[in-house]
Amino acid sequence: MNRQTNSEAWLDVPGTWRGLVMMMPVATFTVAFGLAFGVAAVHHGLANWEALLLSTLVFSAPSQFAALDMWHSPMPLLALATVTVAIHTRHMLMSAALYPWLQPLGRGRQFALVVLMSDSNWAMALGQYHRGERNLGILLGSGIALWAAWILGTLVGVAFGGGIAQPERFGLDVIMLCFFLMMLFGGRPRLVMAMPWLAAAIAALAAYRWLPPYLHVMVGGLAGGLVAVVMPRHGEGKPG
Amino acid sequence: MSSIPLWQSLLAIGLLATIAYGSRVLGLLVMSRVPLGPKVQRFVDAMSTSVLIAIVAPLIMFGDGGARLAALATTLVAILWRSPLLAIGLGMAAAAAWRWWLQAA
Repeated sequence: MNRQTNSEAWLDVPGTWRGLVMMMPVATFTVAFGLAFGVAAVHHGLANWEALLLSTLVFSAPSQFAALDMWHSPMPLLALATVTVAIHTRHMLMSAALYPWLQPLGRGRQFALVVLMSDSNWAMALGQYHRGERNLGILLGSGIALWAAWILGTLVGVAFGGGIAQPERFGLDVIMLCFFLMMLFGGRPRLVMAMPWLAAAIAALAAYRWLPPYLHVMVGGLAGGLVAVVMPRHGEGKPG
Repeated sequence: MSSIPLWQSLLAIGLLATIAYGSRVLGLLVMSRVPLGPKVQRFVDAMSTSVLIAIVAPLIMFGDGGARLAALATTLVAILWRSPLLAIGLGMAAAAAWRWWLQAA
């Protein structure tokens, strides 16, 4: 069960429960965000089951919100895939950061443990790991708490969201806009991102004007990434 | 309820789920072979937030006054109070207030 080779890592029920309880305060917010997604999904014409299936299987607020704008027939699958890939490359870095912790486990177990990895439980689990925690139940339990909260919120959102006749009168159409701005500027906006973000905004606006639909998301993302790479770095090593 | 053929929306949901899970697994696979260099990390890090900027920029630029006011309110509250729910709530309220005022005027 606990293969202890060069470093140690294990998974048990008490640890999972501890992770679940630790994530509870954040999970209450997640219910509210799930509710916002459910309401937005209903007003974008998604069926209730579509919204619920998205929340259950995708479990990612940014890509689900971004997908809403493309949810029409015929479905722009290529654009949908490109935008989702661009949003999710971040998760690749996040699971990579967890690799040292997961390394002692078998591959199947490693893959199973990142199923419910999302932004907030990743951040919490990694913080705990750096403080010496080796019980992977922290990651799993906190993921379960967020996942359940996200689905519950979506359920409430689709249940009540349909009853509102003119969503824009209540500001319901700006939920996604506000959600993304909160993700970008809430917490700790980093100054090093100023130039990449400016480049992203300009490139996206230009592409929105002159290129085929949805390409602006990819163009903006690439512009931001490139600027971050070529930008001269002052004071390398200082916290950005 | 939805006007989209069933197979299309199932395909789309499957696609999203595969990418969402695939990216989480890919990080582990890449790390087990070769650690990511700082340049790649910087690129991916900046790209993943720039994507969100690219989505919101046209919404603000070509949106109505309500959307712009909502963006301003959310951003200010997010920076000053760092309360996610308050930021989103006040943003929505700002948009609602703007449109109510337009109708009343």
